[in-house]
Amino acid sequence: MKKLMIAAAAMAALTFGAQAADTIRIASEGAYAPFNYVDDNGKLAGYEIELGNLLCEKAGLTCEFVQNEWDSMIPNLLAGNYDAIMAGMSITEERLQTISFSDDYYPPESSLFVVPTGGTVNFDELKGYKIGVQGGTIQAAYAEDNFGADNTILSYTTADQSIADLAAGNVDVVLADGGYIKPIASSDGSGLEVVGPALSIGGGIGVGLRKEDTDLKAKFDAVIKSMKDDGSLNEMIKTWFDDPILF
Amino acid sequence: MPDWLQSLLGENLSFWLGYITNGKHLAFYGAFQFNLGAAVLGSVFALMCGLGGAMLLRSRFAITRTIGFVYTNIVRGVPDVLFFLFFPLALEQSVEWVWAQRVCTAEDFVASVGRWPPCTDANWYLSTPEYFLLACVSLGIVYGAFAANVISGAMNAVPAGQLEAARAYGMSHAQVMWRIHIRQMWIYALPGLSNVWMLLIKATSLLSLLQIQDIVFFAERLGAPNYLPRVGLVHPDWRWIYYLVLFLFYILITYLSEQGFAWLRRRAGRGLITAEG
Repeated sequence: MKKLMIAAAAMAALTFGAQAADTIRIASEGAYAPFNYVDDNGKLAGYEIELGNLLCEKAGLTCEFVQNEWDSMIPNLLAGNYDAIMAGMSITEERLQTISFSDDYYPPESSLFVVPTGGTVNFDELKGYKIGVQGGTIQAAYAEDNFGADNTILSYTTADQSIADLAAGNVDVVLADGGYIKPIASSDGSGLEVVGPALSIGGGIGVGLRKEDTDLKAKFDAVIKSMKDDGSLNEMIKTWFDDPILF
Repeated sequence: MPDWLQSLLGENLSFWLGYITNGKHLAFYGAFQFNLGAAVLGSVFALMCGLGGAMLLRSRFAITRTIGFVYTNIVRGVPDVLFFLFFPLALEQSVEWVWAQRVCTAEDFVASVGRWPPCTDANWYLSTPEYFLLACVSLGIVYGAFAANVISGAMNAVPAGQLEAARAYGMSHAQVMWRIHIRQMWIYALPGLSNVWMLLIKATSLLSLLQIQDIVFFAERLGAPNYLPRVGLVHPDWRWIYYLVLFLFYILITYLSEQGFAWLRRRAGRGLITAEG
């Protein structure tokens, strides 16, 4: 036991300050297509992966994507396990208190309700429904604040699981980000459809960064701005989203 | 896939064969190493903690006996899931705290109220190998407490006459312990230890709690429905299929363990008069 402790301590000494290396580590979830997902080869892919690599290339940085669960995304950024987050994370006032964001690389998009095709929800009097959300998202916070009193809010670790449970009939309706849910609802096999009002909840999506890393923020901001100016960011969004919202 | 194999299997079968051997499925199969490795390494730690705990429980000194008693009773009373979450985090933060005393400045401590660690230099970056080792140690500590009780009981079950005879032959305390007592203890301990092993094997399904991408993690991700063709095969919620595969895996491991323990019992009992003969 004692030897093991010493070994662990020795290992600790080796890995301390790992964040000092030149490689910028970017965390993503890998379960939020088309923003980020794991492709058939088992590699991270998606709009944010392509964009992140391009941002780094243009900013002259060496980057590496790592996979991390959504619910520990911000704590692990603060702890220095990686240096940036590109995981469909909307810029909100609440998050800005703990981390900073680059300029948005995906415009603000409404959140939408989805139900199994033919399902009805009385939005005039939203009462007694089971509403599914992904935990720790702006939709989760919004649903809790606005519908929590009269309805049951069920939160899931990944957005995919909320959809799976909606399809299985365990929840009546799911509230999710439009950029994620529109492609699913419009695909043939899903058997889901968008209903009710579109809610404007969050800001756009940006790169999540530690507050003290102002240099990194400046580098990302500069590249994102140049890509907005020359229209290449819009072009990239069009290749990943069928019904895109553009800058 | 080579063409000859494809024509042999037909289009349908070769499609499915291709699907279950694509990169993300291969990663899934690779993840079995974490669960199996944790079972093996965890049980080695558990046996070490178990022997040590039994020695403490049976010590001549009241203080060490108390330590043994506290260890086995407290750890056995804590749910393994909870200990799994508590121990790695507690160890990580203690190490970081000790490290922070050395590398962080006083200003860092003042400025860092409510933030952990106090300065980024004191951050211990835990990646999969570290988490894996911590998970195995946690398994060892938890199931070592059960093993300590089993081993201590088994040592009581060794007939006193055997030990007296050994002492009468002039064996030292250590010789009696290693050559007679522990040697004969196994036959009584094995049934209990095989139970502890079964519990430990099942507890390896908790690895995903520590951010380890183990088989449970992959089952959840691969089984999640996919409606977007560009992401991969479009399919509904298939999680139950993947969970079923995990069921079968654990049942297979349990079955093989039973066989292994039957062999061990026969081996440990050779030369002794036991139920197995």
